[in-house]
Amino acid sequence: MSSDFAISCRNAGKAFQLYLHRNDQLMQALFGWAKTYYKKHWVLRDVTFDIKKGECVGIIGRNGAGKTTLLQILCGITKPTTGSVEIDGRIAPILALGSGFDGALTGRENAIIGGAILGLKRKEIIAKLDQIADFAEIGMFFDQPMKLYSSGMVARLAFAICAHVDADILIVDEALSVGDEAFAQKCENFIAEFSKRGTILVVSHGLDYLRTLCDRVIWIDAGVVREVGDPDEIIPRYKAAVRKDDEDEANAVIGGGEAA
Amino acid sequence: MSNFLIEPFERAWHHRELIRAVVRRELKSRFRDSFLGWIWAIFAPLAMLLAYTAIFTIATPAIASGVPIYDYAAASFCGLILFNVFAELAARSPTLLHEHVHFIKKSIFPSETIAWTSTIRAIVYGGISFFTLLAVRLVTVHSISWTVIFTPLIILPFMLLMLGTVWFLMALGAFTRDVAHLMVSIVPLLMFATPVFFQIEQLPAGLQPWIKLNLVGDYIAMLRDLVIYARFPSPWMYLGCVVASYAVFLFGYAFFKEYKSVIVDVL
Repeated sequence: MSSDFAISCRNAGKAFQLYLHRNDQLMQALFGWAKTYYKKHWVLRDVTFDIKKGECVGIIGRNGAGKTTLLQILCGITKPTTGSVEIDGRIAPILALGSGFDGALTGRENAIIGGAILGLKRKEIIAKLDQIADFAEIGMFFDQPMKLYSSGMVARLAFAICAHVDADILIVDEALSVGDEAFAQKCENFIAEFSKRGTILVVSHGLDYLRTLCDRVIWIDAGVVREVGDPDEIIPRYKAAVRKDDEDEANAVIGGGEAA
Repeated sequence: MSNFLIEPFERAWHHRELIRAVVRRELKSRFRDSFLGWIWAIFAPLAMLLAYTAIFTIATPAIASGVPIYDYAAASFCGLILFNVFAELAARSPTLLHEHVHFIKKSIFPSETIAWTSTIRAIVYGGISFFTLLAVRLVTVHSISWTVIFTPLIILPFMLLMLGTVWFLMALGAFTRDVAHLMVSIVPLLMFATPVFFQIEQLPAGLQPWIKLNLVGDYIAMLRDLVIYARFPSPWMYLGCVVASYAVFLFGYAFFKEYKSVIVDVL
């Protein structure tokens, strides 16, 4: 059965387990069936939204609002504590680019493993290696150990791999701040191109960029969805809220200072 | 029910490309920056085997009395091969998830495959030692018993035992580093509870049933039967080992699966 939705998130919530003592983690693992050794800390609560196939959706929110946790749940890296998430299609997460690479191996070998993690067959990846090297613009370094790469080269290769796995859903987490101007432009072009055929979920603090790219934005505030809708309506409201928060905070600091 | 019995295999088959790619990487990178490369993989067990033969010949004729020296050395070496596979995995498993933390937290990496890749890697190194042993047997006693061809039937259930152990220790090790310290401390001691340098029959009769509970020791005894003494192990012992290993395998997988989602958050 194939639905119209690429991502369907129903009342998803995530609570991290806070342990008072380091060893309580082990106690929980061994005797968790009998007693609870942790306190729950909710970082996401009751998050519900649907993303249609081919849609491009941005996620905005302040630091610590739960954006990254939400992406991790959608990618299947971590399970939601409550609710459910349904994904229809292959996901390519461009999360924390390149953190999974092994410095002792060449770019080519890392690309093969990276492709395998994203679910490609060895033959499929090997057929695409030239394109990946080309896109990443790393030239002869493709066959050198990755410990010799600059951080920009690592990021470029990571993006190139994700760009070539024929994903249905692209999940981009602040990946565009890496690399130089020209490569950032290339990534933006790729994402714009991809949005014509696939589904994109992008987290970014580049609000103007999101406004041009996205069909909708989801505003997450302190772990709950505050608003969903047209970027042209929501982003100005988000900016205003952030400005107001900052002013309140500044006033509180000044007020606190006077009181002391 | 049947699903529960074969699920670990289905998952592994599903991720076979990834397992293959990672095993390749690990095997290639181990000797990558060395001039002699894979020769080291053969040199280490060969030197060890020769040293054992020499020591048992020169220094301790009393221990080996009644047993041909070459057989004694080979029997010890058989024991070492399997024990080393176990020791390496048991000592390393608790830190495996910590080593792969970037993969697990930042990427859609199926962490249960780590047990497969490390077990396969350890078995491959054990295999190199094993073929070294066979080569040395050819030189010393000029023949290899034909029962050697049944060795895979010993190794496959042994692999299941190792996989189950790795999953269990991996998950436990994610929660506390103490497991890693514990394993590093007790693994060398376990060698004395495993018939590596002795045979089960050499023990007092009262102790024998207890030592037989050590599955690694049973596999060592069965491997010796096939490789050195050219005879088949008792079918009951074999069946018992297979069933017990499969149980450990399923338990390890179930344990890991149960805690997999929690582990991401505690690492």
